Amino acid sequence: MNFESILAHHLVDHKTSHKVVATVAGLPVDMGLSPLIRTMWIACGVAIVFLTFAARSQSSLARVMRSMFEPLALFVRDEILEPIFGHHAGHYLPYFLTLFFFILTCNLLGLVPTMSGVTANPWVTAGMATCTFGLIQYAGVKEQGLASYVVHIVPGGVPLILWPLLFVIEVFGMFAKCISLCIRLFANMLAGHVVSLAFLCMIFIFAEMGKAIGAGMIVPSVGLALFIYTMDVLVSFLQAYIFTFLTALFVGGAVHPH
Amino acid sequence: MGDLLKPDLGLTVWTIVTFLCLVGILKAFAWGPLLKAVDEREARLKADREGAEKARAEAERIQKELEAQMAGVQQKSKDLLAAATKDGEALRAKLKAEAEADAAAIKTKTMADLAAEKDKLVGDLRKEVANLSVLAAEKLLHKSVDAGVQKTVLDGFFKDLESAKKAGSN
Repeated sequence: MNFESILAHHLVDHKTSHKVVATVAGLPVDMGLSPLIRTMWIACGVAIVFLTFAARSQSSLARVMRSMFEPLALFVRDEILEPIFGHHAGHYLPYFLTLFFFILTCNLLGLVPTMSGVTANPWVTAGMATCTFGLIQYAGVKEQGLASYVVHIVPGGVPLILWPLLFVIEVFGMFAKCISLCIRLFANMLAGHVVSLAFLCMIFIFAEMGKAIGAGMIVPSVGLALFIYTMDVLVSFLQAYIFTFLTALFVGGAVHPH
Repeated sequence: MGDLLKPDLGLTVWTIVTFLCLVGILKAFAWGPLLKAVDEREARLKADREGAEKARAEAERIQKELEAQMAGVQQKSKDLLAAATKDGEALRAKLKAEAEADAAAIKTKTMADLAAEKDKLVGDLRKEVANLSVLAAEKLLHKSVDAGVQKTVLDGFFKDLESAKKAGSN
């Protein structure tokens, strides 16, 4: 059996339609739909329905859901944003709450059978990192003004002769931060899927040696896959927190250059 | 697996568009009411906490007032007790002084009475002794002595007696 082809079948997104709207640096921007995009929209729909119901309804079910979502929202506000943004936290709160719940929903939905691992795709996380990059620029310019923001990209106290060099390094650093965000989320979520599939494939790999051996591997393989699956649930929350926290940290660095 | 890393800018654009739309939708429909409810609850809790703190401060103030009043009452009772003790002491001293004065007066009067009684008795005794002496002398002399002579003799006798008494006491 070809493990790589199985992985590719489960993890690589395949366009079901093609609609090239532009070409950037020789690369086509194909806006055609794919299972992954549909899963992302389902995640958005789930987030909108659940969160809106919890926020607006007065039913007992909504109260129970609100009591589940509120601690998460308060955690994002009190533990992530307020230490970094202080009294500006309220302005950025909707963005970061959406970021946290969007990544969390996509992560968790990726664990549901028949759904695609949205955040296990680097081009999705690249889109998220691009949003972070845009927010860093927006917040920096908004809070400091364009000239001050550009000047403060380089830390104060640097000799004038080194300033251009450090400016280039800092700009590259800014991109590197966003790329690291992209790779961290994608790699962590992909790893869970790869390891789970690897454990399940062990059954078939060993079955090629002998059917009895393959049957003997069912219980340990499924057990280990379930363990990794449980870990993935934890990782889903953890990665949503890490992405939100690091985004807040980077944006906070642009808002408060000192 | 190489296909996974094959650039898919369309997916990235879809992600950005989807995510930004989600930010707008959730901001309008979910975060507004949810955060408003959270803010209202926090404001209510803050108001309750402030009310409780105010009530506690009021209770502490009343307690301090009561303690101050209690201290005043205790001080007042202490003062009253001290004044009563002082008055008692003064009354006792006054009564004692009066009693001592009365006793001294009674003693003086009694001494005076005794002295007067003694003098009277001594006078009576002298008269009796004189009469008896005269009677005895008349019997011895078988003649009566007239009252003038008798007085003269008796005065001379008592004078001698006084002289002899003084000489004896010296």
